Amino acid sequence: MENIVNDFTINIATANGTGSQSANLILLKTMFDMGVPVSGKNLFPSNISGLPTWYIIRVSDAGYQAPGDRTHIQIMMNADTWQKDIDSCDAETVIVYNSDVKLPVERDDCVVLGLPMTTMARKINPKLARMIANMYYVGALVHLLDIDIASVQALLERQFKGKASAIEMNMRAIDEGRAYAEENFGNPQPFRIEEREKIEGQFLIDGNEATALGSIYGGVNLLSWYPITPSSSMAEGIIKWLPELRNTEDGKSTCAVIQAEDELAAVGMVVGAGWGGARGMTCTSGAGISLMSEFIGLAYFAEIPCVIWDVNRVGPSTGLPTRTQQGDLNLLREASHGDTDHIILIPGNVEECFEFAWRAFEYSERYQTLVFGFSDLDLGMNSWVCNGFEYPSEPIERGKVIRTQAQLEAVENYGRYRDVDGDGVPYRTLPGSGLAPILTRGTGHDEDGVYSEEPEVYRQLMKRLKRKIHNARGELPVPILREEEELEIGIIYYGSMETTIQEIDDIIEDTGVKVSQCRVRALPLHSEVEAFVERHERVIVLEINRDGQMYGVLRKELPIHLVPKVMSVAYSDGMPPRAQFFAERIMRTLEELKV
Amino acid sequence: MSIKLNVINLEKSEYTGGKSSLCPGCGHDQISKVIIQAAWENGIAPEGIAKMSGIGCSSKTPAYFLGKSHGFNTVHGRMPSVTTGAAMANKNLLYIGVSGDGDTASIGIGQFIHSIRRNLNMVYIIENNGVYGLTKGQYSATMERGSTKRKGQANDQPPIDLCKMAINLGCGFVARSFSGSKKQLTSLIKAGMSHKGMAIIDVISPCVTFANNDESHRSYGYVKDNVEELHVADYIPHFSPIAEVEITQGEYKDIELFDGSTLRLETISNSHDTSDPVAALSAIHYAELQGKHVTGLLFFAAGIPTADEIQDLVDIPLASLPEELMRPSRAKHDQLIRKLIS
Repeated sequence: MENIVNDFTINIATANGTGSQSANLILLKTMFDMGVPVSGKNLFPSNISGLPTWYIIRVSDAGYQAPGDRTHIQIMMNADTWQKDIDSCDAETVIVYNSDVKLPVERDDCVVLGLPMTTMARKINPKLARMIANMYYVGALVHLLDIDIASVQALLERQFKGKASAIEMNMRAIDEGRAYAEENFGNPQPFRIEEREKIEGQFLIDGNEATALGSIYGGVNLLSWYPITPSSSMAEGIIKWLPELRNTEDGKSTCAVIQAEDELAAVGMVVGAGWGGARGMTCTSGAGISLMSEFIGLAYFAEIPCVIWDVNRVGPSTGLPTRTQQGDLNLLREASHGDTDHIILIPGNVEECFEFAWRAFEYSERYQTLVFGFSDLDLGMNSWVCNGFEYPSEPIERGKVIRTQAQLEAVENYGRYRDVDGDGVPYRTLPGSGLAPILTRGTGHDEDGVYSEEPEVYRQLMKRLKRKIHNARGELPVPILREEEELEIGIIYYGSMETTIQEIDDIIEDTGVKVSQCRVRALPLHSEVEAFVERHERVIVLEINRDGQMYGVLRKELPIHLVPKVMSVAYSDGMPPRAQFFAERIMRTLEELKV
Repeated sequence: MSIKLNVINLEKSEYTGGKSSLCPGCGHDQISKVIIQAAWENGIAPEGIAKMSGIGCSSKTPAYFLGKSHGFNTVHGRMPSVTTGAAMANKNLLYIGVSGDGDTASIGIGQFIHSIRRNLNMVYIIENNGVYGLTKGQYSATMERGSTKRKGQANDQPPIDLCKMAINLGCGFVARSFSGSKKQLTSLIKAGMSHKGMAIIDVISPCVTFANNDESHRSYGYVKDNVEELHVADYIPHFSPIAEVEITQGEYKDIELFDGSTLRLETISNSHDTSDPVAALSAIHYAELQGKHVTGLLFFAAGIPTADEIQDLVDIPLASLPEELMRPSRAKHDQLIRKLIS
């Protein structure tokens, strides 16, 4: 049997609240520390304890990060999903199960290995047996995959710094699991982990924490938030890092943090902070955006800088709260009643989560408008390999804020909403300054901010707002293009699809079709996207939702003659995208076109 | 003719606003005048004030007072959250919020409650007429059951008493007044401006168009005949030492306010203990049983930490922080990255 090295997927089936997450992270981080390219995905239920959870580890020297279309090693700990987990295994899957569950595993076509994990764990600590049992599958895998036990030991020591008893207890369980597997199984399966040279400066981090850090570098002055999965850990990340990164030497805070009573209040506070001249933000998910919509319109119309991060989960309604989707793009683009038009920043990896988070504040103050960050559960809540965060390349710019009488006098014919510079962006003064005070309002207003219902005043205001956001297009993050000379098929995609696109591309190219890629990183669309469509014969818009929301944006924003060559491949079942599955859908769509 | 100046040498005209577009005789306009008077007499610089409001007749009034102060006419019922954000951006301003009974007691009741719970540092004036004026006279949630407006049927729903609610929520300054009681209202608003923390002032303000008939419990006529004043309230600013002020005869009680000013309460009938929330609640309760409105400072407690104090913010307003306080230094950045790698 030939070994298969660093190219397989492990699926760990457990129940929520049994402590399996720490075992899974020990596995993931040990491999990461060995320089092995890995990614981990947590498929968890909307529940605190008891419902089924799966953790998927993709090991791939090719750098593929999607969960993979099939499982190679199935760990079975959960009686509730036992048969379903067995049935979903392809032939030749290696099944490692907790034999104390006392349920049969009847798969002659698979490698089936049982360990009495709970019994062994009980001997270490009867009270914690359920939790410790998880360490035995770690031990079994250490043996089967040929992982150096010293690497595990080193990781545990770092993970549980100074907590000798925790290190000892977990290490004992892992080692017992390893020894049991060695003695009873030998090694009847081909999958192996081999050490690779670790790339200097890399670490694992989830998108929410990366965004939290970026926001701190962006000068956030107010975080108001209402807990909602999958965005809560972004707020908690800001709270965690603020004291170290932003407090003054005497321990004073430079950022207020308020857990609001609901999303309406959360966004209201952000609008208040922006109006007051500070940098305010909130983070939420789709349901929260629905609630915030009224204020979103106020921020757009009264031109208040605000930042809102939407970590997408599956909608509509409460939907699947712990599953992933790119389902809020339509909602964000034109959120709130009347004609609106919002800037959306769409990071595709954790480095961009950091960068776009600080840039969001720059854009919001430069254009005096609300800026959305668009993330999703997959990017936000899973651990990804990060190549480091670059220190912001530009100093903080506060946009057109008038702070002194001299500055006010230098602006000819100042009016809060007068387009003095011809770029659609007016100047503003702040409360407390005594300079050109006005009553800011969500009602119709003239160039001086005075209430007006004049038809022409309203029309000119709306035209200027359109122009202002349109002018931003060239300044927003440019799309990332990876083009083939052939210019045959172009795939437009965005956000967390970045983790799967290369694998999709490779699968399609194996069939002889050349594929170019264009990753949209902001809306409104950059002119480069239009040029990409223009250059290619056929363009597929690939996304994780039912209706092809980005496809809809393209249809609306592209010149009409380009629309016929753009096709949609959109699919959403709550799961992160699988490459083979998406590649087949793309190929089928292209096939249909040929007929 | 000498021009009257206040303690910071400003004329009263520095505190006025635009022309009101409310109905002639509206109680809200009286309140706007009192706000102008109070801010002027207290000698607060107009640029040091921010006017906040939601949506409704009352929420239009910030256009009619303090024209030299910035203001924000926000969305319906959400004035408190916007004020919270603004107060974090600049904690040094005096925030005067004006809201109505629809704005506060219905759509915005959650934000009303939570801004009290956080003890947001602001004066929160409710211009309470029991009806939705701008949509032509529907009953609001504060209108007394059985009260009848000019047209239509008697109100069949019980009222929400915002003062009771505020007292129960632990608000440190809860007062009720009547837009026709200029002297009392001026003293209360001035005291509210000198209070640190949330000052709730519920002002009965008759709607002359939809509910000024005698069958309405919130008409001029009804309130005048059925008001029970707890005390005569006199405000003595911190820049006029009490010694200079004419000492009133009879019983009185002085309340020391945060900025050193004093609110002197002269007892009228029974002596009301403003530090006793149960006494305040029973005063409201017994007045209600008799179909009366009890006015004055109902409850007072100093020293409750405010929303911004709890944050332990730097002294400079967050809106004016220099870049070095907005972004971690490169040295800190290197430290962070090392930490993330290890």
